[in-house]
Amino acid sequence: VELPLAIVIGMLFAGGTYCLLRPNLVRMVIGFGLLSNGVNLMMIAAGGYSIASGAPFVKDAAETAGLMDPLPPDIVLTAIVINFAVGALFLSICYVVYRDHDTDDPEKLPPAGFEGNG
Amino acid sequence: MNQIIGFLLVPFLTALVQALLNGHPRAERAIGLVSTVALAVWSFVVLAQVDANGIQVSMMGGHAAPYGISLVADRLSCIMLCLSTSVGAVALAYSLSTVTPAQEKYFFHPLFQIALLGVNWSFLTGDLFNLFVAYEVMLIGSYGVMMVGASREQVRQTLMYVAVNLVGGTLFVAGLALVYATTGTLNMADLARYTAGLEGERAAVVTTASMVLMLVFALKSAVFPVFFWLPDSYPVVPAGVNGFFAGLMTKVGVYSLLRVFVMTFRQDGNEVVTQTLLILSGFTMILGVLGAVCQWDIRRILSWHVISQVGYMVMGVGLTANPALARMATAGTVFYIVHHIIVKSSLFLLGDLAEHVTGRRGLKQMGGTLVLAPIVAAMFFVSAVSLAGMPPFSGFLSKLLLVRAGLAGENWIIVAIAIATGFLTITSMMKIWSYAFWGSPQEAPGPRSIAGMVAPASVLVAATIVLGVWAEPMLRLADATAVDLIEPRAYIQAVLGEAASLPGVAP
Repeated sequence: VELPLAIVIGMLFAGGTYCLLRPNLVRMVIGFGLLSNGVNLMMIAAGGYSIASGAPFVKDAAETAGLMDPLPPDIVLTAIVINFAVGALFLSICYVVYRDHDTDDPEKLPPAGFEGNG
Repeated sequence: MNQIIGFLLVPFLTALVQALLNGHPRAERAIGLVSTVALAVWSFVVLAQVDANGIQVSMMGGHAAPYGISLVADRLSCIMLCLSTSVGAVALAYSLSTVTPAQEKYFFHPLFQIALLGVNWSFLTGDLFNLFVAYEVMLIGSYGVMMVGASREQVRQTLMYVAVNLVGGTLFVAGLALVYATTGTLNMADLARYTAGLEGERAAVVTTASMVLMLVFALKSAVFPVFFWLPDSYPVVPAGVNGFFAGLMTKVGVYSLLRVFVMTFRQDGNEVVTQTLLILSGFTMILGVLGAVCQWDIRRILSWHVISQVGYMVMGVGLTANPALARMATAGTVFYIVHHIIVKSSLFLLGDLAEHVTGRRGLKQMGGTLVLAPIVAAMFFVSAVSLAGMPPFSGFLSKLLLVRAGLAGENWIIVAIAIATGFLTITSMMKIWSYAFWGSPQEAPGPRSIAGMVAPASVLVAATIVLGVWAEPMLRLADATAVDLIEPRAYIQAVLGEAASLPGVAP
């Protein structure tokens, strides 16, 4: 793994985790976005990516030396689509919660369970 | 053999047709019920075929494994499919009596089919990344079902459920990246072949990478210390479907633990993972049941019980750390999963029936179900006693198998916890029994027809009795499944071809 890539992944993880832990719904969505991008880059790194490695487009099977593994980008593509859809759903749920309870602080939401409990 | 893809295509197409038919609830109901029941019947046919003739594999898009995605129906997958489709059919039949027109208008039926699709898919897939995709499909369906109708409480709880599962999904991909970086494959059969006989530093790296996946599956199956999301989430799921959720959703996590850590990862040092699971299972069992004892709402009590019961199954997975016990413990876990899915779903349905009959929610306000609906009380009694582990029901045998495996391995502490948890389970069931079923009704509720709800629930109650008194076929099947998982020669050959080198032989 190239050092700059490792640093970027680390920063995305750190920033994502920090945002997820903030008591703020929008920050949670942003944190999730950062975290998922960090994970996607990690997947690319797992495929043996380096600046020197070429894109995996070949005409004949003998030319594969020095190219990166094509499977991880494939996986990342799927993960991006899923994360986009789920992120959009999460954002809309956050909006509905904000509209219902007039707060974007998850700690100020009413406690779980119904009144008969306790 | 391409018939196994039907378990994905049928719910998917049903969901599409139902979505197009939105506004015609009768047609939606009929299509959903017919397709789910047909799928349930078909799953038993496929189970019989696989049991007799061996594993069926389907390569998606015609790409050969390990590069393409393979769907694999072995004994374990087929058992799980039988459970998911038949419990799905029962839960759907039950929910037809409770679902509101508003919920049907907001795509209750298609969303349920999507959740079923995701569950079936996670049982069939033979590829770890594909398992992630299946999880997400299942979760998106379950978010929808959980929020359908969008009351304030539902959305508020779904927010937490989504947040927890988003983190879980992200960790899943991170774990996959680590596994891919260390092994170069995500196909389960290929991984099993590669990791068998792996030793030293390389094995340690693979074990570390697989630990991330363990955390994800633990989160999904609500194992200590990541079970906090469950008791708040399941009570808001619409009645009927909550039986399906409680029975199947967490068991997808247990299934993944079994599939991945008993069958797939075979390197030297994998027992570190299973031993960790064994320790966590003790906490899960005891904390889950203690959580149940202090609740005052049937749904919340039952939700906490899901956690403590998951502890038993994870204990079975954990006991496989000892190779001498692996077969016994795996067979016990498989039997326990079958028992648990049936009984837990039936308890959720019957708990909801009791709320329905008394017209109230909250144990302190309820009472007199025994007078109002003796049949509901009798069925609840059978299920509750079976859950706690009394003979002659299935709960007794499944606990016996696991405790026997624990004793054979001289794991005294875990066995003591398992037995103590059984007693505490009875205590909390007594609480439901004495508050909700004994006592006199608060006021005479209006006459209601509950036949449409009793009939589906009775199927599950009958199943736990049959599984208890006529256990031989299931025991034999569980044992054969355990042998398959521990020595996955047939699995590897079915997926990678006859020429594939066998586990134990260095690749």
